[in-house]
Amino acid sequence: MNLVCCIKQVPDTADVKIDPETNTLIRSGIESITNPYDLVAVQAAVDLKGRYGGTVTAISMGPPQAEQALREALSLGADRAVLLSDRAFAGADTLATSYTLSRAIDKLRQEGPIDLVICGKQAIDGDTAQVGPGIATRLGCTQFTYVTEIRQVDQTGGRVTVRRKAEGGSEVIIGCLPAVLTVELELTKVKRASLPRLIDAQRVPVAVWDAESLQAEPERLGLKGSPTWVRRIFSPPLKKGGPRFDAREDARHAVEACVAALLDDAAFAEQLLKHWER
Amino acid sequence: MAGNKKGIELAEVIPDKCIGCQLCAGICPVGAIEIIDGVARIDPDACIGCGKCADVCPVESIKFERKRPRAVRKKKAETPAGVPGYEGVAVFVEVLEGRGASVSWELVGKARDLAGKLGTTVLGFVVGREVEEVARQALAYGCDDVHVVDDPLLETYLPRSYGKAVSDLCATVKPEILLMGATLAGRDLSGVVATILETGLTADCTGLDIDEEKRILLMTRPTFGGNIMATIFCERHRPQMSTVRPKVFKFPEKDAERKGSIHHHPFEPPAGELPSVVELVRDAAAGGLVDITRFPALIVAGKGACDAESMPMFQRLADLLGGMIACSRPVVESGLLPYERQVGQTGKTVAPKLYVAIGVSGAVQHLVGMQGSERIVAINSDPQAPIFSVADVGIIGDYKNVVPLLIDELERRMKWETRGA
Repeated sequence: MNLVCCIKQVPDTADVKIDPETNTLIRSGIESITNPYDLVAVQAAVDLKGRYGGTVTAISMGPPQAEQALREALSLGADRAVLLSDRAFAGADTLATSYTLSRAIDKLRQEGPIDLVICGKQAIDGDTAQVGPGIATRLGCTQFTYVTEIRQVDQTGGRVTVRRKAEGGSEVIIGCLPAVLTVELELTKVKRASLPRLIDAQRVPVAVWDAESLQAEPERLGLKGSPTWVRRIFSPPLKKGGPRFDAREDARHAVEACVAALLDDAAFAEQLLKHWER
Repeated sequence: MAGNKKGIELAEVIPDKCIGCQLCAGICPVGAIEIIDGVARIDPDACIGCGKCADVCPVESIKFERKRPRAVRKKKAETPAGVPGYEGVAVFVEVLEGRGASVSWELVGKARDLAGKLGTTVLGFVVGREVEEVARQALAYGCDDVHVVDDPLLETYLPRSYGKAVSDLCATVKPEILLMGATLAGRDLSGVVATILETGLTADCTGLDIDEEKRILLMTRPTFGGNIMATIFCERHRPQMSTVRPKVFKFPEKDAERKGSIHHHPFEPPAGELPSVVELVRDAAAGGLVDITRFPALIVAGKGACDAESMPMFQRLADLLGGMIACSRPVVESGLLPYERQVGQTGKTVAPKLYVAIGVSGAVQHLVGMQGSERIVAINSDPQAPIFSVADVGIIGDYKNVVPLLIDELERRMKWETRGA
């Protein structure tokens, strides 16, 4: 079985903040990490390889330093890594990104059929969850998003069965191969690589493909191929906050004052005290 | 400003402002810009001083002060307003168990506002099986025209069949804007439709507005895990697509007398075999799971109030207020409460009438999931906790002392209210 994982190198968003005084990004000490959802995707692919045999290829679009993310995929057990890197890819939104990635998967398909493409549900920097569906649509594959369990891959029957999140619960769904899956964090635990494997991962060559080798149409790549543009970036609006009452000295008094302030608005007070008119 | 060896005045990056978006690297005609460690670097020997990078930078992080020919500068403003042939603000009405999802009606309400600014109509797209009643509801909530694709094959949501139905509707009806709820299905479907139509899509928006001069939709969304807000637009492609989080916009008034028309469209199924759902598990059936978004009051335990012994006390407060216990992420990670009780970026977005945050510090990731609440009460022993900055009222102190007193005081007030009534 041939599996492809799409991964992305992202800034560790927990640390990204805007300096309230200068209104600029504070970026000192922000590390690049592999998108956590994508690591789960790689682990899931490696687990499937263990169950059914086959190969796992990790691909990533990004600047040369995204090779680091691919090395991490190799250390988890991916067999091969391809970096899609070209100036022409820069500034891509999700439409151009899914085009570039699907061109690369098409190129891999020329070497042999691909059964499953596994992506993280979303990247933690943009949180869009759009690239997975974009790839599935472009490749004409079955699309299963928010996958929490890969139940079975029946290669002879050409079917895959997964559990995925659905509104108000979950569903078990079966569809044709090839399929694109986007996975949730709870699908599997990422197993830390052993030292020998980490060293091996450094030895595997990472192929670099540019726009030309993908036979991509230049006007569908990067900034040119991106319909959406950023107009403005700003800090989330900060509310000043209402009155605070100190309960460290006289707690009863503070609570009384707080409830009085909360119920200051007569209409709101009436709703609350009458249990929201239920 | 520095000049290079060739005497050309260079563009210069202000590293603190740069967000590493790569727009400049993509547009530089000579490939002089590289993103190194997340910051744009301009190679002074390759830069030709054209200033295109400064034009494209969304955060004004590129200094370029040399005067350029007027024609180049003006070019941007002269693009025609809107794209001819596309009109109307469409809302994809998600159908859940035969009823329209509430986020869809919230969007119809917002679409009325946007359509007013554009001087156009609100369109409802209703797709499913036996959805005539939902189509009538769409008129009542504010749609002028409702376009329906009703087919037995559309009984269950599947990305390929729904993707085909909605993109076919867009090709026929040609709306300039298409909005969807950022629900599980909405986020799954929007990516399919935008790819088929090769148009721009902005996910999970928390704000929508119109640039009336250019006749374009301005879509604001949290990014970088909610730490930063970005306003996105899509100038040349139609429809301009956006998914919007539930509870961001007000639920509109329903008017059963509202008039409008319902149009039926045939469904042409996509080629190939469709997936089939073999088992469906409702959360409620899987062990009494709770939907915290449905309660008018939430008692929310944070890291600072993460102990099992206090839960009965929180439950008493919740019962008193007609609410439910919810929590922030650390409480789920500790195993004390299940995931479906989690509020925030990676949990649920809630907007109750009353939000009581107990021991919640107020990380941005939490705040984005609850800022729409009508009233926020914060109880925290740390006077500097960021939760106080979004709270309408706050109490600084140990929740173990404060909560029992709060219950007493509310009980007293409620008794007084019943006596007074």
